[in-house]
Amino acid sequence: MIIQFNGLTETIPEGLNISELIKFFGEGDPHVIVEQNGRYIYPKNYDTCKVMENDRIEFINPNLGG
Amino acid sequence: MALLDMNRYARQIKLSQIGIPGQETLARSRVLIAGAGGLGSLSSLYLAAAGVGHLVIVDNDRVELSNLNRQLVHGEASLGTPKTASAADRLGRLNSAIQITPAQVMIEEKSIDGLLEGVDLVVDGCDNYPTRQVLNRACLRHTLPWVFGGVQGFDGMITSFVPGSSPCFECIFQDPTINPGTSPQNNGILGATAGMIASIQAMEAIKLLLGIGNPLTNRLIKISGLTMRITTTTLAPNPDCKACSPHRAKKRR
Repeated sequence: MIIQFNGLTETIPEGLNISELIKFFGEGDPHVIVEQNGRYIYPKNYDTCKVMENDRIEFINPNLGG
Repeated sequence: MALLDMNRYARQIKLSQIGIPGQETLARSRVLIAGAGGLGSLSSLYLAAAGVGHLVIVDNDRVELSNLNRQLVHGEASLGTPKTASAADRLGRLNSAIQITPAQVMIEEKSIDGLLEGVDLVVDGCDNYPTRQVLNRACLRHTLPWVFGGVQGFDGMITSFVPGSSPCFECIFQDPTINPGTSPQNNGILGATAGMIASIQAMEAIKLLLGIGNPLTNRLIKISGLTMRITTTTLAPNPDCKACSPHRAKKRR
């Protein structure tokens, strides 16, 4: 199915949750922030939160330097 | 308001959202700048120029040559001197009508409550998680808003934490081992990255002090400088947050 990932159109397998999506895209930052359709997703919900067709997903790598 | 001030701030007093009452509010405000590094350097310049009446500049470092690509409140003449003294000197030359209090200390549990005395708002210029955690918990205790900013490389992020109206820092950044972006292998940064985030922080601080516009509470902005992609994420309090849940529960009672 098609989603918008970090602003680009991507094809992913159906039925993935957020944890599986992180693995699918090979995201290596354990502290990545996940946004689904503009909303922050708490890490405790990664396993239960399903990715749906046409979702807008952003992986945001935190910056904490000053 | 003195004629001199009317002249100095004329271009912002003309803004209907500010006017003379807003300018007088800024003059009565006390803002703590937590760190006089890349972010604090620049946000403090904007806030001093805008006429915030009292700036408390907190940092425990000295100015190094490698700071000068981004920490524009300091200059070559300040190399080796305490950052707070260097910042106070520069800010005082920019605006001699405001009060500047340099505090050459670390932000930690034993110092933070005293530093926040009389403060209306905090602007974050920290470079690590533990200091922000101390700041977050103190701002929750004192019900003080703080404007978070973080930078690394070409990227930065920003949001405003307002106790009672938004999630807190630890709702969003839950793992204290999170990469601060300042390790020797990972601490590259372009000065303009700090500049763009610090400018937004100064804008947010003024909005919050004056109660104007729509502050960045419950919204996290991420700017990727290389691509100029800007994303805005809607935030919500984490019901399981150990830092702010007790405060929210107390407020409900």
